[in-house]
Amino acid sequence: MYRYDEFDAAFVAGRTAQFADQVKRRLSGELTEDQFRPLRLMNGLYLQLHAYMLRVAVPYGTLSSRQMRKLAHIARVYDRGYGHFTTRQNIQYNWPKLKDIPVILDELASVEMHAIQTSGNCIRNVTTDQFAGAAADEIIDPRPVAEILRQWSSLHPEFSYLPRKFKIAITGAPHDRAAIRFHDIGLQAAVNAAGDVGWEVWVGGGLGRTPMIAKLINSFVPNEHLLAYLESIMRVYNRYGRRDNKYKARIKILVHEEGLETIKGQVEAEFAEVRGGVLTLPSEEVDRISAYFALPDFAPQSLTKIDVAYESIVDAAYGRWLDNNINAHAQPGYASVTVSLKPVGGAPGDATDTQMEVVADLAEKYSHDELRVTHEQNLVLPHVALADLRAVFDALVAAELAEGNNNLITDMICCPGLDFCALANARSIPIAQEISKKFAEPARQKEIGELKIKISGCINACGHHHVGHIGILGVEKKGGELYQITLGGDATEHASVGKIIGPGFEAENVPGAIEKLVDFYIAQRQGTEETFIQAYRRLGEAPFKEALYGTA
Amino acid sequence: MSKEILTGNELTSGAAVYLSASGEWVEPLQSARLFSKEEVAERDAALAATKAGGRVISLEIEEVDEVDGQIVPKRLRERIRAAGPTAPLTLNGQAYDRQHLGEDGHVSI
Repeated sequence: MYRYDEFDAAFVAGRTAQFADQVKRRLSGELTEDQFRPLRLMNGLYLQLHAYMLRVAVPYGTLSSRQMRKLAHIARVYDRGYGHFTTRQNIQYNWPKLKDIPVILDELASVEMHAIQTSGNCIRNVTTDQFAGAAADEIIDPRPVAEILRQWSSLHPEFSYLPRKFKIAITGAPHDRAAIRFHDIGLQAAVNAAGDVGWEVWVGGGLGRTPMIAKLINSFVPNEHLLAYLESIMRVYNRYGRRDNKYKARIKILVHEEGLETIKGQVEAEFAEVRGGVLTLPSEEVDRISAYFALPDFAPQSLTKIDVAYESIVDAAYGRWLDNNINAHAQPGYASVTVSLKPVGGAPGDATDTQMEVVADLAEKYSHDELRVTHEQNLVLPHVALADLRAVFDALVAAELAEGNNNLITDMICCPGLDFCALANARSIPIAQEISKKFAEPARQKEIGELKIKISGCINACGHHHVGHIGILGVEKKGGELYQITLGGDATEHASVGKIIGPGFEAENVPGAIEKLVDFYIAQRQGTEETFIQAYRRLGEAPFKEALYGTA
Repeated sequence: MSKEILTGNELTSGAAVYLSASGEWVEPLQSARLFSKEEVAERDAALAATKAGGRVISLEIEEVDEVDGQIVPKRLRERIRAAGPTAPLTLNGQAYDRQHLGEDGHVSI
């Protein structure tokens, strides 16, 4: 993993001290709230419905066990004993006190973490594939580039007051687990005719009130010129992005209104100016940063295959977990383990301080001290020997973290919704809880197979409802909550935006509506291999609508 | 006929608070002072004084009904804000409690 150099340490320490002084001056009355609000937001401190909320950056979703233990410590000492992992691969604390924020930030700095640029119209935390550096299907480990992007974008003076927030996602694998086509910029590893690895650059994707699939602006940018190319995009956006209307300020609107070819021309013109200049990545610097992400020293393993069918007969819960929560690793004899934060009836993405410590201990003992946070609100132990899987599972069972439901119907993305969020119009967590209770039976989940439900409590779409195979959007109607259902969304390389299928439902009727859709899918599918999204694409919207509403 | 209350978040804890009849910012919704439509001047004066004090932030005027002697905000958002999150916490099944004022969180106008 990357370790801070003196520049990283200095800017985090400087910023932490600066914000501590700002908090002190706010509490003394020297700063007004109008003066303080933009300062606290620059440091990740929001005011939500019930309390402050601190959003802590987890750079490209990667944590060491030491860092995870610190997050647990903060949850226990300064919050209410839990944290909420988000679709931005970050963690949020829902109950911190203002006076404690400086010491929390000091604690974070002691493990090379901070909350800078987790809010505001700047480049936010870069996100990536949770299996980066481990996945069997990977072309290149994207983490060194993600780290370079972190360094480039941190406190970038030119890009601290963009028209709107800006999110970059990067993946090194052909199978997109990072939803790169729904980010302002998405980067996907590509190989050119000469066999060099570079980057496809996608631009103008996003969710929110105007969901857009990103457009391919360049099919191959060499690694050494990536920063220059991204800076060129940022300059065009900073210059021409709308500042008159916050709902039209994201780069997706600029690309949509001006057209890809216009934007591409502007970016290429800028790129011609900056290419080969100070932003060219020196190979020795790339090598230096890549060395931090060198693969662990994997001990040879005699066990290179697990008989899941046999294990399922011996222990059904362990079999389910092996079936769903294990991802193929590039190294024979190893696997990546998804630790589900989606217990039946639980709040998706929440982990207690004790659970965080258990996972940290497991990472230290079994996963070369590495952890990941997924954008689907789970955790990952990236490098576990197959021979250790049973021990890991047993420890997770004891911590109530062993739900074998990864990618199944109960593995939902869900925003905090109106239970916490000042922007929300409707609750999300209770909807997720009721759906997971309805489909709690493992055999039922297995029968349904891969199905991604994503729930947002408002049109800002933090719960990614647009890209759910089944999306649920909570809206306010006549003082109450109503839930619209969308079908056909997909966050992967087969990107699509879900369509609203018909009139909304009262909260208590949502699980039943989901069940009708699921039952229809099962009745219509061409065998168990055809997933919900595949069946939807084959059959189209009309029969699902008929199944749900009884009218075509 | 609906009335109005004043609400905001106390600076140090962030806790939701309500302006009481005695001019203090307190946790219980039921202690909130009810402003009638004729009391706009008093309401706005209280808002201005609170804003000047800087100890209660994110100030809002909320419409409420009185139902069986209880103050009931018209908006669901405000009802959740007054009572705390409705969703049970992972594992122990207990509801999240609302935020409470700290020792240094008591504010008067």
